[in-house]
Amino acid sequence: MIPLHRPSAQPGTRAAPAARPWFLVSRLAWRLSAVTLVGVALGASAVAWRTLATISSVDDAALQSQARLVAEQLSTGPDGRPVLHLPAELEATFGRTDERAAFLVFDRAGHVLLASDPTTVPSVLAALDPPPWTGLFRAPPSPDYPNGMVGALIATRHWRVAVVQAHELNEGLARSLVRDFMFSTLWLLLPIGGATVLIGVLTIRHGLRSLRDASAAAAQVGRGQTGVRLPSAALPGEILPVVGAVNAALDRLEQALDAQRRFVADAAHALRTPLAVLTARIDELGDQREADDLRGDADRMARLVGQMLAMARLEELPLDVTAPVDLRAVAVAAVSEIAPLAISRGVELGLLDGPVVAPINGNAAALGIALANLLDNAIRHAPRGTAVEVAIEAPATIRVLDRGPGVPEAERSRIFARFHRAPGTRPGGAGLGLAIVAGIAAAHGGDAWVEAHAGGGAMFVMRLQPAAPRA
Amino acid sequence: MRLLIVEDEPALGDLLRRALERAGFAPDLAATLGEAREYLALGGHAAIILDLGLTDGNGLDLLREARRAGNSTPVLILTARDAPEDRITGLDTGADDYVVKPFHMGELVSRVRALLRRPDAALGVDLALGNVALHTATREVVVAGAPVALTPRETSLLEMLLRRHGRVVPREAIEQGLYALDNPTTANAVEVLVYRLRRRLLACGADLALHTVRGVGYLLAEA
Repeated sequence: MIPLHRPSAQPGTRAAPAARPWFLVSRLAWRLSAVTLVGVALGASAVAWRTLATISSVDDAALQSQARLVAEQLSTGPDGRPVLHLPAELEATFGRTDERAAFLVFDRAGHVLLASDPTTVPSVLAALDPPPWTGLFRAPPSPDYPNGMVGALIATRHWRVAVVQAHELNEGLARSLVRDFMFSTLWLLLPIGGATVLIGVLTIRHGLRSLRDASAAAAQVGRGQTGVRLPSAALPGEILPVVGAVNAALDRLEQALDAQRRFVADAAHALRTPLAVLTARIDELGDQREADDLRGDADRMARLVGQMLAMARLEELPLDVTAPVDLRAVAVAAVSEIAPLAISRGVELGLLDGPVVAPINGNAAALGIALANLLDNAIRHAPRGTAVEVAIEAPATIRVLDRGPGVPEAERSRIFARFHRAPGTRPGGAGLGLAIVAGIAAAHGGDAWVEAHAGGGAMFVMRLQPAAPRA
Repeated sequence: MRLLIVEDEPALGDLLRRALERAGFAPDLAATLGEAREYLALGGHAAIILDLGLTDGNGLDLLREARRAGNSTPVLILTARDAPEDRITGLDTGADDYVVKPFHMGELVSRVRALLRRPDAALGVDLALGNVALHTATREVVVAGAPVALTPRETSLLEMLLRRHGRVVPREAIEQGLYALDNPTTANAVEVLVYRLRRRLLACGADLALHTVRGVGYLLAEA
């Protein structure tokens, strides 16, 4: 196959593949899930921490009030040492071993004067070294208090009183509270988080559904169908600016195309009206020899103008190639149109029998122009008495065969160029007919070339894109 | 027969008027849509030759108005625009024929004549080409002044070809026009009929040629 002078505008040719697209729905789902999980975790920790803090502050308050109760019961003995008269309920508190609470009374110098449980003394002394005036403290473990102690120390006028308690008490409580929390609060938080993710995803999906309609409309925008606009009804406000901008771009595109269309139409009018006057004046001259020569010149000029306008339309305006086209019907129409020329030149024109060819997506009028150009070209080069034949082949190929001089190998790639005229070509051609053929074939995603016809002559081939099989 | 020419290029309008006068018509010439409307209001035109790109508007608007007003005068559009979509728009709007500028005066005159003898325009018309004439009402065929006896099918085929002389008549059109649906044609019935008509015409000295366009149809032209 011979490369054409014109890069064919293949539909569907894209730039290098972009990075993988991301999707709002999955991104939102992931992020919402992550945020929900982190939120639940943080919330749980915060509540657990608050619970523990509350428990310990309750404990601290209790220890301090116990210490105050103990202090209130102290009086100074005759020897200057403290004497304790514990009420029964307090005595019970310090007597019970399971709660493991103890009190200690110090003098100002930090010497232990009284202790309800002497085993606590060393570790409490260790915790209170150097002795603070008041406050809460933790004491290291002792044989009876394997988890250590918490205590409150208060000062009275003469003494200081400390109440200590085994540490494991509030840890057990905290653990059970946290467990409670996990089973009640967390199982409530998790479904709420799940529902949040679900609602987010559904909202986005629903909001994007109208965008799918818009993109379906956008897919309609194509060659020759610039009137399509994206629907903006039911679109979320975030998307509307994009749709509006696209529609505005389409407006500008359509205006530019309209201007171009008007220009080609105006040019056609401006060029053809004087030609029509010229032709009519020549026709008035009658059948003189000079009139015939002039008629030939005017016809040639008219052909050139017609081809230049066709070329201009093809170059500047998008060709709608989306309608189903029956290639055999196109061939019948083109052969019928050109038959008078063939008869006047004594060339036998025919359409060969062939297979039934499935319709392709294309533009019947443009393909008719292309085939008529090929036939015109073949008839003008065919010797009187020879045949010019059209053959349609599956899936979507049109061949035009003649018995003319053929196209020399060196010329084959060049004859499709605009205004190219092979050396020795008879006058009459403008050198645009085959360029128009190549342009129309390219607009259909196909190509056109010429080969030698076995047995002499040329074979012009237009191979088009067969319609994609329906899924 | 009065004709209306709507053409804003003075030279072309003048040439058209002279040519149609020579052909035996009485043409009125309007250079603008306004003038054309005035002429149309007077009525009585057998056909209208309409340019599309006029100084004061598009000829298609005039055509649309006329058709909406129930005016069925045959209209031949004469235009510089030959894009396929222009052609289709013109015919869809109600034009009967479409000629792209530049054109040969002889062709235009014969197209105007063809418009005036459309089947619904008259009951019996004489179709003539070269030395062959066919009267559609009486089915008489005359070649070089002498009546010729053709079978009804041969006469009908000749009529179809004469009505579209110089243009290809598709084979399918002949099959559908000459053979009833309940009378299935043999594969080569049309070929046989064309062969017989061609021989008859040759035998009685007709100066017509019945060309075969293989795979497509037939074309009748002066030899």
